[in-house]
Amino acid sequence: MTTHPHQLRVTTLETQDSVRVEVHGDLDYDNADLLVHEVTAQLTARPGLTDLHLHCAEIGAVDSMGLCALLMISRHTAAAGVRLHLDERSAKLDRLLDLTGTLDHLTAPPPTGTVRSSMTGESTTAIRPTEPDGLT
Amino acid sequence: MRTSASPRLPRSAPLDQLAEQLWEAVSSADEYTATELVLRMLDDGADPEAVLLDVVAKVQSRVGEEWAANRISVAQEHAATAINERAVAAVSVHPAARTAATRGRITVACVDGEWHGLPARLLAEVLKLRGWRVDYLGAQVPTPHLITHLHNTRADAVALSSSIATRLPTAHAAITACQAIGVPVLVGGAAFGPQGRYAKLLGAEAWAPDARAAADHLAQGPLPRPQADHQQFDDLPHLSDQEYTMVARNSTSLVRHVFTALEDACPAMRSYSDLQRERTAEDLKHIVDFLATALYLDDEELFTWFITWTAQILQARGVPEMSVPPALVLLARELGDFPRAARILHAATRTLVTDPTTTAAGNAV
Amino acid sequence: MASTQARTVADTRPDSLWGRAPYPVLVADLRGVVVRCNDAAGLILPAAAPGASLTDVAPAWLCAAHTRIGSPGPHAVPADTEEALRGTIAGRRFEAHPTALGDGSVAWWLVDDTDHQLAREALLMERERTAFLAKASNVLLSSLNLGRCMDVTAQLAAESLADVALAIAPSRSSRLPVVTCLRGGTPVLADMSVDPDDVPGLGEALRGFPPVPSRWIDPAAAPAWLVPEGFGPVGSIVITPLPGHGVPAGALVLLRKAQTASFSSEEEVFARLFAARAGAAMSAARLYAEQTAITDVLMRELMPPALHQISGVDFAGGYRPSADHERIGGDFYDVHPATVEGEASLVSLGDVCGKGLEAAVLTGKIRNTLHALLPLADDHSRMLGLLNTALLNSHHARFVTLVLASARRRGNQVDLALTSAGHPSPLIIRADGTVHEADTRGTLIGALPAITAVTITESLAPGESCVLYTDGITEAKGGPMGDDLFGDERLKRALAGCVGMPAEGIVEHVQMLAAQWLGNRRHDDMAVVVISAPRTHHLSAVNGHTRGRFTA
Repeated sequence: MTTHPHQLRVTTLETQDSVRVEVHGDLDYDNADLLVHEVTAQLTARPGLTDLHLHCAEIGAVDSMGLCALLMISRHTAAAGVRLHLDERSAKLDRLLDLTGTLDHLTAPPPTGTVRSSMTGESTTAIRPTEPDGLT
Repeated sequence: MRTSASPRLPRSAPLDQLAEQLWEAVSSADEYTATELVLRMLDDGADPEAVLLDVVAKVQSRVGEEWAANRISVAQEHAATAINERAVAAVSVHPAARTAATRGRITVACVDGEWHGLPARLLAEVLKLRGWRVDYLGAQVPTPHLITHLHNTRADAVALSSSIATRLPTAHAAITACQAIGVPVLVGGAAFGPQGRYAKLLGAEAWAPDARAAADHLAQGPLPRPQADHQQFDDLPHLSDQEYTMVARNSTSLVRHVFTALEDACPAMRSYSDLQRERTAEDLKHIVDFLATALYLDDEELFTWFITWTAQILQARGVPEMSVPPALVLLARELGDFPRAARILHAATRTLVTDPTTTAAGNAV
Repeated sequence: MASTQARTVADTRPDSLWGRAPYPVLVADLRGVVVRCNDAAGLILPAAAPGASLTDVAPAWLCAAHTRIGSPGPHAVPADTEEALRGTIAGRRFEAHPTALGDGSVAWWLVDDTDHQLAREALLMERERTAFLAKASNVLLSSLNLGRCMDVTAQLAAESLADVALAIAPSRSSRLPVVTCLRGGTPVLADMSVDPDDVPGLGEALRGFPPVPSRWIDPAAAPAWLVPEGFGPVGSIVITPLPGHGVPAGALVLLRKAQTASFSSEEEVFARLFAARAGAAMSAARLYAEQTAITDVLMRELMPPALHQISGVDFAGGYRPSADHERIGGDFYDVHPATVEGEASLVSLGDVCGKGLEAAVLTGKIRNTLHALLPLADDHSRMLGLLNTALLNSHHARFVTLVLASARRRGNQVDLALTSAGHPSPLIIRADGTVHEADTRGTLIGALPAITAVTITESLAPGESCVLYTDGITEAKGGPMGDDLFGDERLKRALAGCVGMPAEGIVEHVQMLAAQWLGNRRHDDMAVVVISAPRTHHLSAVNGHTRGRFTA
């Protein structure tokens, strides 16, 4: 099996009520689903969650399916009353979100207004780094 | 009814005079005059085949010459070709070109990666005039499309066009694929070399130097049916040394290495603009592509011809800085383990430094 | 050696050991008179007795061999001529081995090799048939074209099984496709208005039910269409069903002339083996053709349209799907002429997320929706809002980014209204060679509950163009160094050289540059549409209706 250099890798770091998901590699047609799965798994597993941080600094190319995945994630977080943060976005990602008019929507607070306050702030402690396998 | 703006032609003006007028219209991007001109010829009773081949095709080959001599740009070449295409389309729907299909069915296509569709288009129109039922698939036809089409239509033969020699490995794959499903192939276009030497090497059933000869050849009788058990590899046993595969697969890293080494060797390059650097990299890419093709065909002359031609083109474009011989030497160093590549690069370098027409470009480092 | 042997034989009496040997032995002298023969020889050549003339008692081939050996020259017959000494005696095949005796007479040792010969012949025949079947498989399996498979079937059958062979395919219409091939001839297709049930067994073979074996029919009962003109009297006719992949593939009819031997049972088995191969090939070709027909019908709606001039505005488009073996993908474009002459035509060019067939199906839905919304074409924002509502789906966030362009000829100019919905802005090529982005932006469509969009207007002078494209062009990764993006700047630079070019020339130029940039690398779907204000060389060209306005 060969490993593509731009292969997506998702690392999750959890604290009590916030989750930080680090994305490394291309968010594209071949592997955007992976990120959606990881995020939905986190939302399901942690009902008390208030904030979900997607760490975007290491994201490579984002194609339309990648953007589609981000939109899907924002729907899921909104439905769960969790605030989505797209942290450390590259200029390129910002350009894409700006061009498609999705930046405000993706980073807006959940519409319900019932955002639970974060107790731990940004003090993220690595409790369970996960690396999904099955990538080729 | 003619509008007053239509070009006036003497009744039976000789074809080359008409070609000259069409060239005037095409080179000034005047599509209306161009189409009116060819329609007028047909109205005046000119033979549609002669209009296509002795006027339009002639003008098109002049477009190529003018580009090579740097008298028109690539974009202008495209504009001229688009206008010629319109002229051909105009001929094809003129009542004089209406012909009933009395012969078999021929598929006409360009090899994948081949953008010069006009020669194939001209052949398609000529074959229609000669009574064939023609399926013209256009420029840049991926081989899977061609094969699907052949399964669906039962063509008697395929006419395959390619103008650039670097498309020959792809052309070979297309030829073999057609033959594997029992359809014989006639090839044409500059890619197949002088007297069509590569056509034979790549196992095509027939080769023709131009549309008229191709139509004549097909009129002589059906092409022989290909052998069912023929394999692509049978034609080119030298490929077993893997030199082609290695060079083709690593072409971008070869370009990078030679580019970097060239910068060290030629201080002038460091002051290049981004655009100049990109052009230089493109020139290197072409050199590597032609080397790969020469390895594929095991034909030293193809590469030598290309290098000589490149040196002349660069000279015509006033690019004395680009240094072909050092690039060849650096490439030879990168490919030290490849005897066939080394031999081909050596031969080209030798020709370049001894050929008086190219030494100016060759020596200007 | 020869003389030693000769002496041994000469010294032996007929009633001695060799006289009762199980193999026939016959000795004849120089004049061709039988000197002696043993019991075994007597059994096959009953007239042979000492004193009889060889020509009276032995077959001609043996007499001739004897005369040859008796003529001057070396008496011992070289081993390599032995092959020739072979012939029939009393219906069986013999090898004759001569031994020259000292007195000029020759002893003929006859060995019955009838069974050996038969085995050899059978082996040779089997080899030929195996080779034929292998060749048949090769040729038949190479094509998925039904017509070609029928040709090959008839031709191969006429080569090895019959004087004329007919391959007949089942037909849903009243006309029956029949390919006829005479031995050594070329196959000829004819669609015949005939009833297969007129030929015993043919109807069943074509329907595949009820199952029928190969069937002999009386040549006198065969209808005239079965026999080619000038064939002469027919000796035998056999109808063999062609079994397909669970479906009837057709029938093979084999005819032999009256003077040709009729079919042996081995030949029938052989014909059946051939029929199995031909049937498999023909039914595969039929299935393929049916699938292709279905795909073509479904795909026709999804293919990009051919563009041309409408109401004095030039339009050209080009499309390359991401997978080169497919013809459709996630990019699309359309040009809708105004329903009222003088109104604007509407151009749409877009890119749905995803690729391949799934994306193509979504483009179909979007194109249909836009078509239905055409009455609102003068209000892009409203149109996009309604499209957004139509596409919103709770299960996924599949969206589309697109550009709408309304183009209307006014005098020599073309007026444009441009709206981007999350899509790269159109580029305008000015007559002075500058290229700029149209300043329109908006949200993508189909994923968010509400959208915004800004429409701007532009005007094109004669020879100026507006280029709509999808990001497959600018995101094309490659170049001489291998990993650079084609990018906006390179595209703008290329377009700056396209002033005054015909719209289709610009499309082709952009497509070619992107393709060359890519080389053989993977890429996304790529679409380009160019809207141009025609250059006005002639008054006659202004209305756009003169002859000479042709598009490919």
